[in-house]
Amino acid sequence: MSTREVSIKKNRYLDSVFLMAVAQRLSEQPGIEDAAAVMGSAANKLILVKMGFNEAELAEAAQNDLIVALEGETEAVNGLLSDVEQWLVRPKSALDGAMALSLEDAWEQQETSNLVVISVPGEYAAREARAALEHGMNVFLFSDHVSVEDEVSLKQKASEAGLIVMGPDCGTAIIAGTGIGFANVVRRGSIGVVASSGTGLQEFTSLVHRSGAGISHGFGTGGRDLSDSVGGISTLTAIDALEKDPGTQAIAVISKPPGQDTLERIVQRLNRCSKPVAACFLGLESANWPSAARFEISATIDDVVANSLLLVGKTGGSATLLLPVKNAERLEKEVERMNSNQKYVRGLFAGGTFCYQAQQIMRDGGVAVHSNAPLEGMTMLDDENASVKSTLVDMGADEFTVGVPHPMIDATHRRKRILDEVQDPTVAVLLLDFILGHNASTDPVGDLAEAIVEAKRQSSEAGHYLSVVASVCGTDEDPQGLEKQEQLLRDTGVVVFPSNAQASQFARDILSKRMEVSK
Amino acid sequence: MKMTDLQSLLKAGPIAINLGLEEFAKSLQDQGAKVIHVDWAPPPPVDEEMEDLLDKLL
Repeated sequence: MSTREVSIKKNRYLDSVFLMAVAQRLSEQPGIEDAAAVMGSAANKLILVKMGFNEAELAEAAQNDLIVALEGETEAVNGLLSDVEQWLVRPKSALDGAMALSLEDAWEQQETSNLVVISVPGEYAAREARAALEHGMNVFLFSDHVSVEDEVSLKQKASEAGLIVMGPDCGTAIIAGTGIGFANVVRRGSIGVVASSGTGLQEFTSLVHRSGAGISHGFGTGGRDLSDSVGGISTLTAIDALEKDPGTQAIAVISKPPGQDTLERIVQRLNRCSKPVAACFLGLESANWPSAARFEISATIDDVVANSLLLVGKTGGSATLLLPVKNAERLEKEVERMNSNQKYVRGLFAGGTFCYQAQQIMRDGGVAVHSNAPLEGMTMLDDENASVKSTLVDMGADEFTVGVPHPMIDATHRRKRILDEVQDPTVAVLLLDFILGHNASTDPVGDLAEAIVEAKRQSSEAGHYLSVVASVCGTDEDPQGLEKQEQLLRDTGVVVFPSNAQASQFARDILSKRMEVSK
Repeated sequence: MKMTDLQSLLKAGPIAINLGLEEFAKSLQDQGAKVIHVDWAPPPPVDEEMEDLLDKLL
């Protein structure tokens, strides 16, 4: 007998990362088919209803209540729910430092605090951020689902007080050599960077490090900062700070296309900057680049890295990493084993910016792409779970991460999707990204290696050759080790590139070559 | 030039308070930054009846 039951713990809060681990462990118990452990927000309850759990029972749970929901054999479900408390005990904290019960309490313990890192549920995040600003502290706001009105009011308040709000939905920053959130370990140096895209900032800082230069500070601003509704408040604050910072010689700005008015404001500000500037507005076609700009604009993250290195007088080290290499031989080797039906690319990305940049590179090469996060001119997928012809998927998008960890932490979804893609005989190339650094998976390549080997095996059995092309965003100093991760990919038969732009170009070249052959 | 609070962050590096995911505090600690982790919980739900009563009294 199979059943679905829920247990509600009144006024009990546990963070989402811990709850996902609880659900994972519960789902592995004998007789259990599906398990969820979530806070009782309306969105979470809706998901549980869609999973088939009883709506009336779930209605009993309020926002501050914890819900454990199990589906499986009646005996197994009831057994676990009768003693659910034992699954909710947190392991002993790994922190050596002091703990506090509230922001106020923490402030009293450490009045020199200059930064508050906030990753609480979105509905509470603005309130905590406001309190942090009132105490004169800067804010790194990882939480998402913060309203645009709150974002504007927080950023204005910060700006008036000489502070910054990085976020909401800010994944990465590097301040004076310390990485915050999902950051790579990079050497300190003289290039300052402001980015409204988290993985864009990670790719930029990693490539600068790998080119032999370093980062003074890297500010994330949150994806909405350069929209006209926010007007680039945090970007402008960060530019001001980097201009004043004695350790910064040159400034790079990276974003997806800004709002038109905001783009003009940023360009005017950068034109007045007393330090040299390089910029990359990903996705903005070169015909639309602001003509008034008196600084170098680049199409890709690789190019803005190269330009930034030139601005600080660093050349040489970058040459092998960033300049287009002769790939003809590698290309030939990949294409010659393909079957005549193989003509499409499938990209499965952990980094949203990588999905975006790959689309831009495909667009520039005339390759039509479907995506769940389409660049202007590309086609929205009807069903994010079903690829069509050439498809590039942002696996970190909201629709894939409700109640489950981001693909930078947990590869379950990507692993399954790789094996789905290979069932389609028209697929020629699988394009992947791997992201190292603080707080990411401890072994991103290892998480997917078996699935890649299996995909190649299945493809070969069906009489095809599946080319797998990947880039690894990270450095030799990251806890996962860049060299080790890249080597594991090569051992798995993957063609590895130092950047997403180069991997995407190679994947595009494979498609072009396939078209030539079929003509 | 007046030193703003943002400039002092850039000069001193993060002296942090962490609200939410403990992993973020751990990675700051591992890098040698000072960090206090808040064992955060949502504020208790507002008792609407009590709030109405207070509104009337005030």
